[in-house]
Amino acid sequence: MMLGRRLAGGLAGRFARPAVFVAALMMVWGGNATAQTYGEAPMLAERVAAGTLPPVEERLPENPATIDPLSAGTYGGQIEWLAGRARDIRIMNVYGYARLVGYDAELNLVADILESYEVEGGRIFTFHLRPGLRWSDGEPFTTEAFRYEWFDVQQNEDLRPYGPDFRLLVEGELPEVEIIDDYTVRYSWSQPNPRLIPALAGARPLYLYAPGHYLQQYHQAYADPDTLQAAVESAEVQDWTVLHLRRGNLYSATNPELPVLQPWVNTTAPPSERFQFVRNPFYHRVDNEGRQLPYIDTVYVNISDSSLIAAQTGTGGSDLQARHIRIDDYAFLAQGAETNDYYIDLWDTVLGSEIALYPNLTAADPVWRELMRDVRFRRALSMAVYRDEINEIIYFGLGRISNNTVVPSSPFWTEELATEWTQYDIDRANDLLDEIGLTEYEDGVRLLPDGRPLEIVVETAGERGQEVDALQLIADSWSRIGVALFINNSQRDVFRNRIFSGETNMSVWFGLDNGLITPSTVPTELAPVDQNWLQYPAWGQYWQAAAGAGEAPDLPWAEELVDLYSEWLVTYDEDRKIEIVSRMLEIHADQVTSIGLIQSIPQPIVVANRLHNVPVEAVYSWDPGAHFGRYRTDTFWVDE
Amino acid sequence: MFGYIVRRLFVMIPTLLAISAISFFIIQLPPGDFLTTLINEQLSRGEGADMGNIERLRQLYGLDRPLIEQYFIWLGNALRGDFGYSFEYELPVTTVVGDRMFLTVVLTFATTLFIWIVAFPIGIYAATHQYSAGDYALTFIGFLGFAVPKFLLGLVLMYLFNVWFGTDIGGLMDRQYIDQPMSWAKFVSVLEHLLTPVIVIGTAGTAAMIRRLRANLLDELQKQYYITALAKGLPRRRALLKYPLRSALNPFIADIGSILPDLISGATIVSVVLNLQTTGPLLLSALQSQDMFLAGSFLLWLALLTVIGVLISDLLLAMLDPRIRLGGGAVK
Repeated sequence: MMLGRRLAGGLAGRFARPAVFVAALMMVWGGNATAQTYGEAPMLAERVAAGTLPPVEERLPENPATIDPLSAGTYGGQIEWLAGRARDIRIMNVYGYARLVGYDAELNLVADILESYEVEGGRIFTFHLRPGLRWSDGEPFTTEAFRYEWFDVQQNEDLRPYGPDFRLLVEGELPEVEIIDDYTVRYSWSQPNPRLIPALAGARPLYLYAPGHYLQQYHQAYADPDTLQAAVESAEVQDWTVLHLRRGNLYSATNPELPVLQPWVNTTAPPSERFQFVRNPFYHRVDNEGRQLPYIDTVYVNISDSSLIAAQTGTGGSDLQARHIRIDDYAFLAQGAETNDYYIDLWDTVLGSEIALYPNLTAADPVWRELMRDVRFRRALSMAVYRDEINEIIYFGLGRISNNTVVPSSPFWTEELATEWTQYDIDRANDLLDEIGLTEYEDGVRLLPDGRPLEIVVETAGERGQEVDALQLIADSWSRIGVALFINNSQRDVFRNRIFSGETNMSVWFGLDNGLITPSTVPTELAPVDQNWLQYPAWGQYWQAAAGAGEAPDLPWAEELVDLYSEWLVTYDEDRKIEIVSRMLEIHADQVTSIGLIQSIPQPIVVANRLHNVPVEAVYSWDPGAHFGRYRTDTFWVDE
Repeated sequence: MFGYIVRRLFVMIPTLLAISAISFFIIQLPPGDFLTTLINEQLSRGEGADMGNIERLRQLYGLDRPLIEQYFIWLGNALRGDFGYSFEYELPVTTVVGDRMFLTVVLTFATTLFIWIVAFPIGIYAATHQYSAGDYALTFIGFLGFAVPKFLLGLVLMYLFNVWFGTDIGGLMDRQYIDQPMSWAKFVSVLEHLLTPVIVIGTAGTAAMIRRLRANLLDELQKQYYITALAKGLPRRRALLKYPLRSALNPFIADIGSILPDLISGATIVSVVLNLQTTGPLLLSALQSQDMFLAGSFLLWLALLTVIGVLISDLLLAMLDPRIRLGGGAVK
């Protein structure tokens, strides 16, 4: 909300040139760094004393990243959290959140693993590495890592037969990658690439680097053919590319041998039920007293079943838990808080709407299609939803009535975006429907122009009970405007396919995945450019396929959305970008492209009393945010 | 006898082939494949799916080939002991399953033992004291155990044990022992955690076993040989243990046949609820995410163990009960 008020004035200045800001900051710290002595964890000091590890000054880069913790911590200790399945150990790399460039707690983009970076014209990106930074195995981290990833991985036809990651392409164009020296690398395109920096800062980031010194043993171009063949056979995989893919996955955290840059390193080889992540002795961040982070020695990830995690958390099974616990579990969790020595925070969430109804504007049935495309119809439906009642009955009054739009912690939020066409007004809704000409009734239900009753079948993916509960309440209030609502529970894949093909007239799903839109967010979710946007799948197909599939958007506001989106992608004028996104949000609110219900259902966060520096008021978001990541888990600490 | 076994083994082959084919195709029946799950997951996170990479995985896993071809490739490899790759775990199927096999064996045998130890005396008591107060009480408890859904009982017991004894919710041992070598402390921890699942899984089995034993024994107790034995002055206990009880044992033996498949699928729902590191939950999640080589191998082993288990119990029955003849119909 604070950011929201600043939108008009300070926004552009605040967000536009993070690189310059960071560079200036680095100069200040650069002076101090050489004179400073660094602190380290007792666990590592022991190893230094025993001679198995170099002293902290040699392990840190010349110019470490400095973090201001909420409070200065003490070293040591361990925490545990629960994952729903073995693959979710990768979330440790989200919580750890060491990125080339990352968001800080206020969602500014700051250089992190990088010492600084410069962007020219939105298309030339120059990255400066921290001299002296090392991988978790002690090998130097230089531009060799970037060279290996770009030339030997992304461009290798065996490893990536379908070409480099799509975020490295600008309308099909590959970047020109220049290795300038050991600590400087440059990526340039002929057009702006606005996706790049947010991708580097993503919860699941784009990796521009790879530990080539380790992975070369699995790469055909470097390894001895016989040794490589033996390795392929002993791993029981098809060929060397699969082996390279598995051993080199920086995100999945499944290979204990893989050198990484994260605060904690997995030491347990799968399969297991309990994974041990131990501190990285070469980690690049220090606190403001020059003590190397992280504070906590060891993080255990216990694999459980997602349906059991709330029960286990409530009986003291986790020191820091957000995944797989929901607001419905609050009462149970609160009951166990005292005996099991934890407390519960409620963090804000960022879904555009907890539940949203999507009229299918590209429905196959011509009569329904025309009706769904009439903005008066969509507005009438929206005004005939009694959101207060839904909020009270399903969410204990904890949510906030809102359209499917940005959340208040986004700088783009305005009262009008949230509430336009959401006031419960049966009379006005009836007037609008009469105005359209739906004046014939049969058994209290209006008739369509071709004489069929106005019965809307809302399809669900059959996964969330609350959707059905909400729809039943909506059916009651819609019956007062002569619209009948029926629920059809489906299965996710069937659900999607029916929407894509236009068989579904209306569906129910989550609202915007990311309601925390910032000036750096690519506004893909706001334009008809993906068939997964359920209100206009055919328009999305048209953009994605660009070769006759789907249909071209043919409503003025939809065309405007596409134009705005296209302009955003190629503009490097930050103020103009902000205007564009604001306008897109206005269109969605005014056109009621989806019917949002309730926003900001809080996410309970269970925190052990002995764990410190977990912020009390915060936002739980995946991207941007990386859940706990942007609150710097490496500064969390525990009482001994 | 030998000829009979050989014949039975030959009949197994077409049975297993049919089962493996049917299960393989049933796994594929829901729309989409494992990669659809993967794509959905990335989309639901607001990450664009890297379609190039997905397409590459589809080729690597052979998911772009026709179903028939996928089946025969998998079957051919399976015959050579290579059961393929688990997509979910990114590990060979045998590695994923092998890890959980030991605890599954422990749990299954502990449960079977529990059932026998509890059901045996109660069944005898209920039969010899038919329509007594004790019989009614035990029958009532037995029916209760039979009727209460296992997952519910599991949740309640788990909660009570947590409140009373401070046992962790879920799991088969305290967390610090996971992946550690076996030690006395670990053994004790496993025993402590086994209590809930053994009681929960065993309750329904016990109740059923008591009813069967009681019914069988009651049949025998009315027969003339038993009455004659008593009339000739054989002590009641000795007469009971020596003749009718032996005939009434058949259900215990027949049950051995179902123990083997239980190793794989045993008490899946309970294991999911109690978060046991056994094979049941693994099978369930493999089916849900269409991790088809893992699920297919599971079902194949399940079928194999079922037919072997039935064979073993048939042979045992024949050995223990002379009234049963193998292939009797054919001899006449």
